[in-house]
Amino acid sequence: MAQVPVQTIHRDPQLFYWILFPITLVMILTGVLRHYATVLMASAPKKLDQRAMREQRSLAHGVGVRSNFHVLSRPSFVARRDALTTAYESGAYLKDPERRGQAPPNPMSDPSSMDGMMGAMKNQMAMIIPNTLIMSWINAFFSGYVIMKLPFPLTIKFKSMLQAGVATKDMDPRWMSSISWYFLCFFGLQSVFNFLLGNDNAANQMAQQMGQMGPQGGFGPGVDPDKQFLAEAENLAVIEHYSVLDGVEDRLLEAIGV
Amino acid sequence: MPSEREFQIAPLVPESIQHNSKTLYNLQSLTASLFGVSAGILGLESYSGFLFYLVFSLLTTALLYVFRVAPGASLSSSSSASRQRKGVLDTSLYFRSPYEFWAGGLLGGLAGYILTWTLFYGLVRA
Repeated sequence: MAQVPVQTIHRDPQLFYWILFPITLVMILTGVLRHYATVLMASAPKKLDQRAMREQRSLAHGVGVRSNFHVLSRPSFVARRDALTTAYESGAYLKDPERRGQAPPNPMSDPSSMDGMMGAMKNQMAMIIPNTLIMSWINAFFSGYVIMKLPFPLTIKFKSMLQAGVATKDMDPRWMSSISWYFLCFFGLQSVFNFLLGNDNAANQMAQQMGQMGPQGGFGPGVDPDKQFLAEAENLAVIEHYSVLDGVEDRLLEAIGV
Repeated sequence: MPSEREFQIAPLVPESIQHNSKTLYNLQSLTASLFGVSAGILGLESYSGFLFYLVFSLLTTALLYVFRVAPGASLSSSSSASRQRKGVLDTSLYFRSPYEFWAGGLLGGLAGYILTWTLFYGLVRA
């Protein structure tokens, strides 16, 4: 196979100053802006009234006892289990005991669950609006230039993506236009944001998605708390108790090699 | 793999492990960008560039292991039984799995590496 001569394209060095640096700068500054916008828009967690809080925390108490039963001695575990299961089954911790057995309210009508949805919407908006704005800005001002060459070869399929707006048939797909520099920045700037804003920044979409998967805590909308309590009581009842201190003397003697 | 009961006897603190992984991720993403700068200035192309990244990020992790992870591991395993069970390259004192320690940062830093590699290659060579 004949060696293909390396293409060289003479470009004005001004391209770097007027295209590459503005795009990079704008991308970094948008990330910083998005971080601070998210910080400012974050609404403080809503205060629950006493009964709702008691409902949540008592369920969490049951889960805690169930997952950490091995640090309790047998009598104290039995005492906790009996107290919790009787309270769960009688519905003593419910927010409104007289609504027991009825269908849960529609989540769309509950104002507290609307709040969570609004927060997710706001985050999505903070992502989508700047990205579409920057993409149309780049398309409007900088389309039709070739600015850089990638240091690694690519197949011909990437040509339509990397050289959008440059209709030159025989050009190597390694040459890239401004919009592909935008995509490179979009994916690669996370480490720069880590460096600038600290690790918990909200500048990139990855961090945003991680934040949404965070622990919700308490009851999701449309779940009957009474049923959750009954299920938790059942979970507690079936635990076969043992303690980590069972046989600790043997382990100690083995460890010191007697 | 230790059993569930052994985890209950010697529990892992999830916050500390998370902090360790976060520190490791920070180190790897920052060094990946810097390796990109050096690869761009050296003018590496295609395979040699990716090989450069692979070698140097593994080297960074190995240095971290030698200077930070290994001394603590040898200090803490005082009982002879636990020392026998663990291998030479043991990271279980600070991290969940050896895979996470050795290969976890390779993919995370790759995007930053390609970005700075392209930028400096473009500025210096093309």
